[in-house]
Amino acid sequence: MSVMLTKFESKSNRVKGLAFHPTQPLLAASLHNGSIQLWNYRMGVLVDRFEEHEGPVRAVAIHPSRALLASGGDDYKIKVWDIRPQNRRCLFTLHGHLDYVRTVQFHHEMPWILSCSDDQTIRIWNSTSRNCIAILTGHSHYVMSAQFHPKEDLVVSASQDQTVRVWDISGLRKNTPNTAPGTFDTFDTFSTVKYVLEGHDRGVNYATFHPTLPLIVSAGDDRQVKIWRMSDTKAWEVDACRGHFNNVSVAVFHSKHELIVSCGEDKTVRVWDLTKRSAVQTFRRENDRFWTLAAHPELNLFAAGHDSGLIVFKLERERPAFSVHGDTVFYVRDKYVRSYDINSGSDIGLLSVRKFGSPYVPPRTLSYNPAERAVVLTISSDNGLFELTALPKDTVGEVKDSSTDGKRGSGHAAIFVARNRFAILNKTTQIWGIQLIEVRDLSNSILKTIKAPTQTNEIFYGGTASLILSSATSVILYDIQQQKTIAEITTPPVKYVVWSTDGSLVALLSKHTITIANKNFSQHTLIHETIRIKSGAWDDSGVFIYSTLNHIKYCLAQGDHGVICTLDNPVYLTRVKGKTVHCLDRSARPRTITIDPTEYRFKVALLRNNHEEMLYIIRTSNLLGQSIIAYLQQKGFPEIALHFVQDKSTRFDLAIECGNLDVAFEMARAIDRPDCWERLAQQALKQGNHKIVEKAYQQTKNFDRLSFLYLATGSSDKLSKMQKIADARGDPMSRFHNALYAGDVMGRIAVLRDVGLHPLAYLTAKTNGLDDVASQILEAAGLTDADVDDVPSFERSTLKPPPVVTLTENIVWPTLSTGESFFDRALANGHLESGTEVPYVNGFDSAGAAMSSALDEWAREEEAQEDVEIEEGAWDLDAEADESEVEIENEVGVPEEDEELGAGAAPGISETELWARNSPFACDHVAAGSFETAMQLLNRQFGVVNFTLLKPLFLAIYRSSHAYLSPLASLPPLQLHLRRNPEESSSSRVLPVSVQTLQSTRQGLTEGFRYLSGAKLPEAQTAFRSILRELLLVSVISDDEAKQWRDMVTLAREYLLGVTLEIERRRVTRDEPDNVRRSLELAAYFTHCQLQPTHLQIALRSAIGVFAKANNHVTAARFARRLLELNPDPKIVAQARQRIAAGDRNPRNAVEISYDEFTEFEICGASFTPIYKGSPSERCPYTNAAYLPEFSGRLDPLTELTVIGAASAGLPAPRS
Amino acid sequence: MDSSELYHIKQQFILGAYKSLVDLTLPDTSSPDYIPTLVYKARACIALNTPEAVAGLVTEDTEDVTLKAVSALARYVGAADASEKDASLEELRDLCVELEGEDVDADEREKNLVHVLAGTAFALANEVEEALETLGVGTNTESVEAVALIVQIYLSINRPDLARKEFERARRWAEDDLLLQLIEASIGLITGKDGYADCNSFYTEQLGNPSLSSPHLLTARGVTRLLRGEITAAKSDFEEAVSQQGGTADAETLAAMTVAAGLGPSKASEADQLWSQLSSEYPRHPLVADVGRKAQLFDELCIKFDVPPLAAAAA
Repeated sequence: MSVMLTKFESKSNRVKGLAFHPTQPLLAASLHNGSIQLWNYRMGVLVDRFEEHEGPVRAVAIHPSRALLASGGDDYKIKVWDIRPQNRRCLFTLHGHLDYVRTVQFHHEMPWILSCSDDQTIRIWNSTSRNCIAILTGHSHYVMSAQFHPKEDLVVSASQDQTVRVWDISGLRKNTPNTAPGTFDTFDTFSTVKYVLEGHDRGVNYATFHPTLPLIVSAGDDRQVKIWRMSDTKAWEVDACRGHFNNVSVAVFHSKHELIVSCGEDKTVRVWDLTKRSAVQTFRRENDRFWTLAAHPELNLFAAGHDSGLIVFKLERERPAFSVHGDTVFYVRDKYVRSYDINSGSDIGLLSVRKFGSPYVPPRTLSYNPAERAVVLTISSDNGLFELTALPKDTVGEVKDSSTDGKRGSGHAAIFVARNRFAILNKTTQIWGIQLIEVRDLSNSILKTIKAPTQTNEIFYGGTASLILSSATSVILYDIQQQKTIAEITTPPVKYVVWSTDGSLVALLSKHTITIANKNFSQHTLIHETIRIKSGAWDDSGVFIYSTLNHIKYCLAQGDHGVICTLDNPVYLTRVKGKTVHCLDRSARPRTITIDPTEYRFKVALLRNNHEEMLYIIRTSNLLGQSIIAYLQQKGFPEIALHFVQDKSTRFDLAIECGNLDVAFEMARAIDRPDCWERLAQQALKQGNHKIVEKAYQQTKNFDRLSFLYLATGSSDKLSKMQKIADARGDPMSRFHNALYAGDVMGRIAVLRDVGLHPLAYLTAKTNGLDDVASQILEAAGLTDADVDDVPSFERSTLKPPPVVTLTENIVWPTLSTGESFFDRALANGHLESGTEVPYVNGFDSAGAAMSSALDEWAREEEAQEDVEIEEGAWDLDAEADESEVEIENEVGVPEEDEELGAGAAPGISETELWARNSPFACDHVAAGSFETAMQLLNRQFGVVNFTLLKPLFLAIYRSSHAYLSPLASLPPLQLHLRRNPEESSSSRVLPVSVQTLQSTRQGLTEGFRYLSGAKLPEAQTAFRSILRELLLVSVISDDEAKQWRDMVTLAREYLLGVTLEIERRRVTRDEPDNVRRSLELAAYFTHCQLQPTHLQIALRSAIGVFAKANNHVTAARFARRLLELNPDPKIVAQARQRIAAGDRNPRNAVEISYDEFTEFEICGASFTPIYKGSPSERCPYTNAAYLPEFSGRLDPLTELTVIGAASAGLPAPRS
Repeated sequence: MDSSELYHIKQQFILGAYKSLVDLTLPDTSSPDYIPTLVYKARACIALNTPEAVAGLVTEDTEDVTLKAVSALARYVGAADASEKDASLEELRDLCVELEGEDVDADEREKNLVHVLAGTAFALANEVEEALETLGVGTNTESVEAVALIVQIYLSINRPDLARKEFERARRWAEDDLLLQLIEASIGLITGKDGYADCNSFYTEQLGNPSLSSPHLLTARGVTRLLRGEITAAKSDFEEAVSQQGGTADAETLAAMTVAAGLGPSKASEADQLWSQLSSEYPRHPLVADVGRKAQLFDELCIKFDVPPLAAAAA
């Protein structure tokens, strides 16, 4: 469950009731202002409005099969409407409720309408007879909702009286009830309250049945959503969903999944897991309280009404998990892994993944491994799981479920990184905050763990032996082998990664951006989109085609992008082949969309200078328009754009821009505007094309420049013509210029004379040696030579036009190539007509047009395609390559394996060493045959020194820990090591079999008890001693066992002590019959050993006997009293009572002994004397038996194993 | 390709049905199966620890290398002292060297067999390196028997990793040979992968083999059961094996019974009684030898700890 996807929203008055049409995309909404709206939520249009209620309308329902709508309002009326557009009207009104009507509902098969009201009743109406046929009374407050059971004759109602009630209305169906109005008392016989569900602490607003299960969900003002279960006989609360922090308005079951959706006045819509009763998702609105909620009966669609309108939404993530390999799409639909061949269109189910993760969450990602034909899927439920499964080779018969042999684990992202490896990102497993990425092999065992260099949200395949890691702010290209970051690109969180077919480019898709990078991330471009990017796929020519919510667009590697077509519904692109886009739609069904790839094909051709293709595109498509021209201009291809442009001024501009003077001249002539000619002249001048310049000047009558141009080109003819023109124009300045340029002195003089500048004319003539003319001028001016005496005489003028070295009049200086482009040639060659059929499909389809050089490019792409295959080799996908390598190894023989597999193989670590290594318990070391360490351990842990006694035990344990078997004839048998846990084979955990266990020693204990009861004291002593020895060589696996072990040691010690005391007493009575005192003491001490009651009785009875015999009646009576406390046999009780009576009669002790029963004491195991509490003592390091300090350093006489008072570490802690 | 008789003989040999091999009637001397059968029979004798019987089977002057090898092995196994042993080892070494030369009239199969027999002897003499070398470890020998020996040697020196490698390699060319399965089972015995499932199921499977019955299989299955911690089931296997052996347990079974007796709830006396039986009847069994060594070790170690005088009342 990733998001709540809003499909439609409307603004209106407060929405109080909602009802979906079962088949059409219609939704009825009843409003607080008395109106009922009928929306088409798919188109987003208001279809109809019904406005006859007075006051708020709370109840609305649509008939499951007929075009009927029922509504109920605060005007106490229930109205039934025909909603067919041609027939729309209120059919009838049902009167009867005495207060606001809260809900109405049509029965699914009977002509019944169910309504409930603030008048505390629920009514059932017959819509045919239009009569009320039942009134269900019982609620003691407003009835807020009433709903029919989807199948059975039940009604569930919710009321402000804090109860939910289930009503049995089966009687209503059987009997035709009295239809006569006004006989209400008979109604109750048809319906009975079946269950009253109490549990809500406040009023209940809504209750409804589960569509299939015997469940009810209710929503109350106590902010809880409660789930109830019904059996045939009772109904009870299952659980409550807590989380709403204000009144819950409605709660409904999801029709498909195990979910509950609720809404409330806390302005939230919440989704709950029905099985776990945990919140799944919360959708908040800023200002609007939610009042109503409706679930579509069939679809994953919900509508919620709030203070200012309604929303229609769905819950499920719709993006199917898919992976494309070659022309096959592997994808998941309805929890089945399927394969779709885009060539043949065959679409087959391969694998069921229904048992993978939560049943209502579809798998999130799928990664396909072509070498192993395996998939690894992830799912977001259960905190992220992955599953690795092999796809079946053939798909005959039943599709297997992945749970049969799938290998699972927890993980958020899982992808194949090589033929036999996949990587897992597990966001929850962190070490010191560093995320770990696991590389696992196909048996799901971890081969390697990589520490993520940054907080990683997603991992993707990053090319051979690499991963792409997506973090919140960047993507990282990461080398798995070297465990280092290769490159990093800053980008918004990347959600999907799409590699181009040749693996050279990768598209990194974020919510609103696409980053196109090359395979080592050294170059990349970023594209922004305003709307959500959904998916993408690479065209075989290296164009990235992507889909947004409503468009299919393209994107070139350098970042150019544009729209290809619009979409009605989001699709998920899988593969682009030529004009066909293959995709999966929202319900994960494969479909195709045909697109026009001209624009991007052209752009790609342009970028690659593939003129042939461009020409082809130009010729065959009507690829015109400002955008492409602007694009070409912008990209610096005006000369190409020139070929698309008809508009003269644009053409002229482009021609000027690219220096195509011919076109420019042509256009200038067509346009014929001075500014054009001027620009043309400028451009032509730059290029040295003076003829064009001349024409342009001529066109604009720019005589001055024209004259100068003629001067510059040495065109004297033209200059003389210009003179004539100037004459004709009567422009003296121009005439003078032209005369000057032409070196025409007479002309100059004439101009000067004409304009009356006689002095200048005179001087001009004079300096040019034209004395006659000079005199004429003087004459004309009415002067004589005398008048100009004061005029100094000048040298002869040298001013004249420069001589023409090379006549350039007819030669154009080609300073700039006129840019005869491919197109000019192509167009000139007449290709237009004979146009070779160059099909433009990309990549694969090379339908017989190989002669065209334009295909070279495609051929190269084809090669690139093949490269992909080779790449896959690098991917380690090629099983054979692997094989051959091994083959070589075999042939070459040993060299590199010498050290490993050679004859000189060094012996490995023996299992016994592992045992010793893995265990702190002496017995395990014994089993391992490591007697030395075992002894050291025993010495350290329990102060054991006298090992001789343990020899049989040691040998028996060692003997039973190893079996011998010779699988091959005549070879020495293998020594096999018996393990404690046969399932455990990890070398760090293996432990030897437990030869001695607590159980087996416990048996020994019972044996000892038997000896004790049978007064076979020496045997008992041996038994208890041997138990204590055995216990030394028991290993414990838990704290509990450690405690049991300690208890047993103590118990055995007490018995051993007791038995030893008794043996000593018997020895004393036998050997020193006079020493009654000692005998009595020992008997008394025996009763202080911590024995089990039965055995304590023996000790007490023996003591009583001994003491009575010695006439120590008081003490004997004390023992008798203690005996009585143990509830012995009646016979013994009688004896004890006699003893007590004797003690009372004869209250004295004949023999004084050292025995103070009122002070706590322990008994020294060596001297058999009491050590009263507080007195110094030494202990046995093993059994903790007490000894007088004087025995420190001696061998413990009870166990005969340890040194009294030695330091010891005690039993080691069990290994978990 | 082996004839079906030979195949059957081989199968019996692999699965340890040595008794029936020893009792086998040899085919006609002219039969191509004669020598291989004879070799198997001789090897069965050796396996049953009656190497002296081989001398009666193989004539001294035989020209066949395999027969020479098998009699050398028999002499080695039956040798009483070190010099005799060395002599037979030398003989085997010479045989191997001879095979290197081109002038020997022996096919690949015979060469392999000689290597296997020699390798066995070397392994018995604890010449691990020589044994492995003779068996052609790391070379391209396609002899499952050699691989089986190599694997067992590796296992005996605690290198199950190398054993597995060798096995994996053999699996490429040996397909699903019975011996290969046995090898896999042996590796399983040591590594305990999947709770000893491999070896246990192998022996269980072979017990169901209709063409032969061998107490060895029962004992082996019992041992795998022991390894799996199924003590009582193991014991019943051993008992059955003993009854198949006519009431007297062979060393292998007896040793396994001794081990089993020490485990689980059973009387210590039973284990001790079996132990004394084993150590008196088969003093050379590795278990006996090993435990004997350990006992000695124990005594030596005991001395290291000073035992103070027993604490007793001053009286």
